[in-house]
Amino acid sequence: MRINFLSVLFVICLVLTGVKLFSGGGSLVSRKTEVSFWNGWTGPDGIAMLEVIRQFNEENPDIEVSMQRMAWDTYYNKLMVSAMSGRGPQVFVIHASTLPRMVRAGYVGDVSDLFGPSTGISPSDFESKVLDQVKFGNQMVGVPLDIHPQGLYCNRDLFVAAGLTNPDGSPKPPTTKDEFIADIRKLQKIGPTGDHDVWGFSWTFWRNNFMALVPQFHGRYFDENGKPDLINPGNVAALTFMGDLMNHLKLTPPAESNAGWTGFRQKKVAMLFEGVYMVGDLQSLTDFHYFGAQVPKIGDQPGTVGDSHCLCIRADLSPKEREASERFIKYLSKHSLAWAKAGQVPARISIRNSEEFKKLQVQYAYSKEVPYMVYPPRTPLLFELIQEIDQAVERVLRGDMPPKKALEIANGNVASAIERDKQENKT
Amino acid sequence: MKSLRTQTRLANLFVIPYGMSFVVFIICPIVFAAVLAFTQLDLTSRQHVHFVGFDNFREALKDPYFVQATQVTCLYSVLIVPAFVILSFGLALGLQGMAFGRNTVRGMLFLPGMFNVVVASIIWRWFYDGEFGFFNYLLKREGLTPIHWLGEKTLALPSIVVMSLWWGLGGATIILLAALEQVPIHLYEAAMIDGATSRKLLTKITIPQMRPVLLFIVVTSTIGAFQVFGQTFMMTNGGPDRSTTGLVQLIYDTAFNKYRLGYAASISWLLFFMISVIIIAQALLLRRSID
Repeated sequence: MRINFLSVLFVICLVLTGVKLFSGGGSLVSRKTEVSFWNGWTGPDGIAMLEVIRQFNEENPDIEVSMQRMAWDTYYNKLMVSAMSGRGPQVFVIHASTLPRMVRAGYVGDVSDLFGPSTGISPSDFESKVLDQVKFGNQMVGVPLDIHPQGLYCNRDLFVAAGLTNPDGSPKPPTTKDEFIADIRKLQKIGPTGDHDVWGFSWTFWRNNFMALVPQFHGRYFDENGKPDLINPGNVAALTFMGDLMNHLKLTPPAESNAGWTGFRQKKVAMLFEGVYMVGDLQSLTDFHYFGAQVPKIGDQPGTVGDSHCLCIRADLSPKEREASERFIKYLSKHSLAWAKAGQVPARISIRNSEEFKKLQVQYAYSKEVPYMVYPPRTPLLFELIQEIDQAVERVLRGDMPPKKALEIANGNVASAIERDKQENKT
Repeated sequence: MKSLRTQTRLANLFVIPYGMSFVVFIICPIVFAAVLAFTQLDLTSRQHVHFVGFDNFREALKDPYFVQATQVTCLYSVLIVPAFVILSFGLALGLQGMAFGRNTVRGMLFLPGMFNVVVASIIWRWFYDGEFGFFNYLLKREGLTPIHWLGEKTLALPSIVVMSLWWGLGGATIILLAALEQVPIHLYEAAMIDGATSRKLLTKITIPQMRPVLLFIVVTSTIGAFQVFGQTFMMTNGGPDRSTTGLVQLIYDTAFNKYRLGYAASISWLLFFMISVIIIAQALLLRRSID
């Protein structure tokens, strides 16, 4: 009797498996088109995106989007390996700065047909520099969802206590180099033993902080011929400023300290440069008053660095999967205000101009940086470049090397990596 | 009663699943990595995979990052392996001599090893935090200057060694304690009748009797030290200024951030070669010294 029951169960399982296999991957019950969506939004931003997806699934009963989140560190590895073997997700997120490498790998699909009046995604709704990030030859390989520049986070209470306010009592962030340094001095609190109870400012993610200052000093990473140019005077000036603030003026925690973001959350740091996406972390804090502002003009011109999350699809999707994926991308782009609330600046100008977006203080303040914000350089060897920048900045901030020497070494190593890559990619 | 042939056949059947997984997950990747080490395979390259002979190995030997990572790995091993063996042996001896509470202490020693390396690293990252860490809280309370344990180049690696000792000592101590209890008691009794001192008992009976287990601990801890990755990746991400970037992290960066699988495979083989040479040398030295 027991054997018979098991045999029947086995046959049922076999039949169901067969039906599932031949149903083309759709759900057995509803025959929905399944869309897998991968990204690296493991923080509060991921929760906001889950809500957008839930709404999409409700409004589109013929499609089932499932999201998989993983830390950015491992995300690109898994995406690369799975997509190249044809098992990757239908829709995925790639940073604009990482696109050159991923596009060269050959698995990112062309989504040019998503841009046009009939799709609801108009090219004129994006700044040209934002669209240029997804343009490769004649193809558009992604839809920019957001922009996330580096900006200035400030502790409102510490600003008010230090008297750094406008006539109406609102806190007044620094806008120039002189104001910036003067404010740091006013904001810091030094105890009787000489220890800082509160730092006026702290560097956070050194490389990003450096890259935020580079455009202010007319710096660049490559020259007109594509050769590395890390030792240009602008880069040296930006790095010199960082080193001076830490090691000569002693206005930031020392290099060995990691006060940065944690210190800001604990009200022990009054100001710092960070990406707009960090606002999600602050939203969960109670009794913490903060505001966002633009990176002050330290160099000759305003400037900062930023990046964009781009929505991409695999090149080898079936027509059905492609239609579902494109519908999902259009929906996300249209509803990017909901996404912005988690700590992003929408890539679409029309959404940035909406009254609802202007109510998001930090995001709106950061959005004013978009006109002069620059993206990291477009190179398939971005990892090699930033690895060298990381080391150069670290050597300077630790006082191990003068800026020019550190950048010279980095420049040489990047040049070697480019030369090797050129040799390996000879056709 | 079943015939011997039937029993053998049955036994083979039981071995097949493991045998298959061994071939698929151990042998195949080794062969694949061996082939890969002699090819240029960059996932993002426009070129197809092609044979490059020993080019990857030549590049590695000239690569300053490879040289630096080798130095870091060797330094880590030199710091941790002797400390690991001596401390775990000392703890095992201490535990053996305990009349009461031995099981409790044994359990407490073993507990850290039950944490995943990520969890252990996160806990210790907070212990070591320069501003808000537990150790610096204690130092400040005593009026001493805080130390940036993971932020200073000279301190970062030793700090990771201390964490690794905390994490790994328990397992080795338990193994050594088990081995200590296997040493025949009559050897000690005979030696004591002959007037042997405690030192003589240790050097002439305990250590020689423990030789195979000690060799096992030395070999496994050396292999573990050369393969250090989780702690350094989680606690310092190889910094400051690459002072804790070991060979496995270099392999990880090369394969999964630069996507140069062929070159990464060649570094893996160089690491394997280094470990093999050191293990063989250790085994020969230990055997000779005790003989």
